[in-house]
Amino acid sequence: MVKARETLIPKPVEPAPALVDPPAAASVVGLSKRFGKTSILENISFDVAQGEVLVLLGASGSGKTTILRIIAGLEMPYTGKVILHGKDVTELPARERGVGVIFQAYALFPKMTVEKNIGYGLRIRKRKRKEIKEKVNELLKLVQLEEHRKKYPSQLSGGQQQRVAIARTLAYNPEVLLFDEPFGALDTQTRVHLRREIRALLRKVNVPSIFITHDQEEALELGDRVAVLNQGHIEQLGTPLEIYSHPATEYVATFLGAANLLEATVQNGGLQVGSAHLTAMLDHTQFQDGDCVKIVFRPEDVVLSTSEFVRSGAAKISAGRIEEISFVGAYERLRLRLDRGEECRADETPYYLTTETPESQPTKSIIATRPKPDAAATKLQIGDRVVVAITSFTVLPASKR
Amino acid sequence: MSTAVSAMRHVRGFDVVRPLSIGMLVFMMLPLVFLPLASIFIFGTSNGLDKFWAALMAPEAIFALKLSMATSFWATVFNVIFGLFAAYVLSRYNFWGRNALIVTISLPTAIPTAVAGFALLLLWGPYGTLGRFLTPNFEIMFTAFAIILANIFVTFPLAFGVIKPVFDTMSRSLEEASATIGATRWQTFWHVTLPSLRGAIVSGALLTFARAVGEFGSTILVSGNLAGRTQTAPLYIFAKFNEGQIEAANAIAIVLALFSFLIFSVLFFARDWLDVD
Repeated sequence: MVKARETLIPKPVEPAPALVDPPAAASVVGLSKRFGKTSILENISFDVAQGEVLVLLGASGSGKTTILRIIAGLEMPYTGKVILHGKDVTELPARERGVGVIFQAYALFPKMTVEKNIGYGLRIRKRKRKEIKEKVNELLKLVQLEEHRKKYPSQLSGGQQQRVAIARTLAYNPEVLLFDEPFGALDTQTRVHLRREIRALLRKVNVPSIFITHDQEEALELGDRVAVLNQGHIEQLGTPLEIYSHPATEYVATFLGAANLLEATVQNGGLQVGSAHLTAMLDHTQFQDGDCVKIVFRPEDVVLSTSEFVRSGAAKISAGRIEEISFVGAYERLRLRLDRGEECRADETPYYLTTETPESQPTKSIIATRPKPDAAATKLQIGDRVVVAITSFTVLPASKR
Repeated sequence: MSTAVSAMRHVRGFDVVRPLSIGMLVFMMLPLVFLPLASIFIFGTSNGLDKFWAALMAPEAIFALKLSMATSFWATVFNVIFGLFAAYVLSRYNFWGRNALIVTISLPTAIPTAVAGFALLLLWGPYGTLGRFLTPNFEIMFTAFAIILANIFVTFPLAFGVIKPVFDTMSRSLEEASATIGATRWQTFWHVTLPSLRGAIVSGALLTFARAVGEFGSTILVSGNLAGRTQTAPLYIFAKFNEGQIEAANAIAIVLALFSFLIFSVLFFARDWLDVD
């Protein structure tokens, strides 16, 4: 659990490296969309490389579905371009783009058998019957539905329908695969199973794919890179590890699972959290002494100790009292109330401008998790006083939300 | 009293209300529906089947039946195609005046058929608004064409009414999926939309046809009721009855009654087939 000392020093968050080589298989440039006066999307740009899986992660209403529909050609952007394999397709109708869309409710043709559904793209392209048959057989094998070929969609389970939908789009070699919350309608067990299957399938077919989802676990598992969307703009775009370990904004930090946020002050090149001082290598162009910042750390980055001694690799930030303990399968989750530290308040901010007086500010509670062995080694109870340390954290400017 | 009634309801687990209410229902329908229908068959065949057959085979009778079938057929073809088109436009596009159009299409249901026939006369008749320009060279009223027009008018909303709800509930994502796969609008309509409408189209067509075959009120005004030329089956029944030839009227009545039995049996018993998903 103890992470290397270096992780204490937060890396400055870099923008995702521009994909120069290999060239982007699919990209959108400066997309925006509005309905009437409401802005739905603002300046969305990203690239997807050949064979790469990009996940657009966001809450409902974040605009992720709209981006997908614009790429598919089902909706027109207000500004911006959609480029597939170097070709500007912004003005092309959906049918000329050669994209494959896997809809949330699968959208299989109810009056066609599995075979006919899969062969549809080739039939309307007037391919030879023999060619269609061979391709359909190949795809049925790929998605393991050979014995269901004569069935109608209504006779299949959700997961099977999903696989038919994927085979149907793969049949015509799409330029890009777009998945619109493909696991939304499935139960937890099936969705976990199916997303691993699809992940393996996508590796085989080497087509650039864009997934949209609101499920952070799904995003982290499926994506080569993840773009976190909030209210029509991209908050952060990076590898799952980057966005999980080094969230660029408070929104990203809290959207991707549990995150603890504490206020801190930049001091002597390090950070002052309450009465504790953390060494941190800060970007001095971004943070100066006296600045208010927020530190973000995950529950699993918290180390608890019943004595003043904290194991190496962890830095003390405060003491606190345990308020709640629960077991969540593989680990133990604790809620702690930290002792009141000094709140960060930039010197130039006069008291009367803050809405809350320091007295009314509640003490801060944080969440910590401990794996089972740790929990067994040091038994803790509600009401116990502990020393709280952290092994890794990220610094955010306090004003960013 | 109330204890007596409630005691009557169940006699040792036997629900008395059940046979009573079923019997009541049949009894009420007897004079209203069953007996009138039965009397057509009883009377029509009372003089022997050969009399019935002879009455049916009278040239004017055959002609009337054929004319009814032909005019109803063309009215059905038109109304199904139109209903499909109207349902497509009115469920896919939202525009100013959309509801007004829906109400107008559905209006002929509520208009008395005699009024419909009269309206057509006023428009296409020899002195009508448009008819007067055609009259010297071309006659619409008092021809088979007029009967088709009248049939179209009175059965106008039927196919539309059956097809539109299916369109409304049809998921747009099917058509979107088809488009992203690469289909043109026409291919999408032909391969995806139309198959889902099969049941609605068949039942809409049967309803329209059944209704058109029986049309009387508007037909008698616009056709001129000329035996052997513009006399449909219902008009034939009316004409023969007026002439006192009850057997002749009755023979055609039997055919029309059987015909509607047939159509509604198909609609009722083939529901599963018509509605398959």
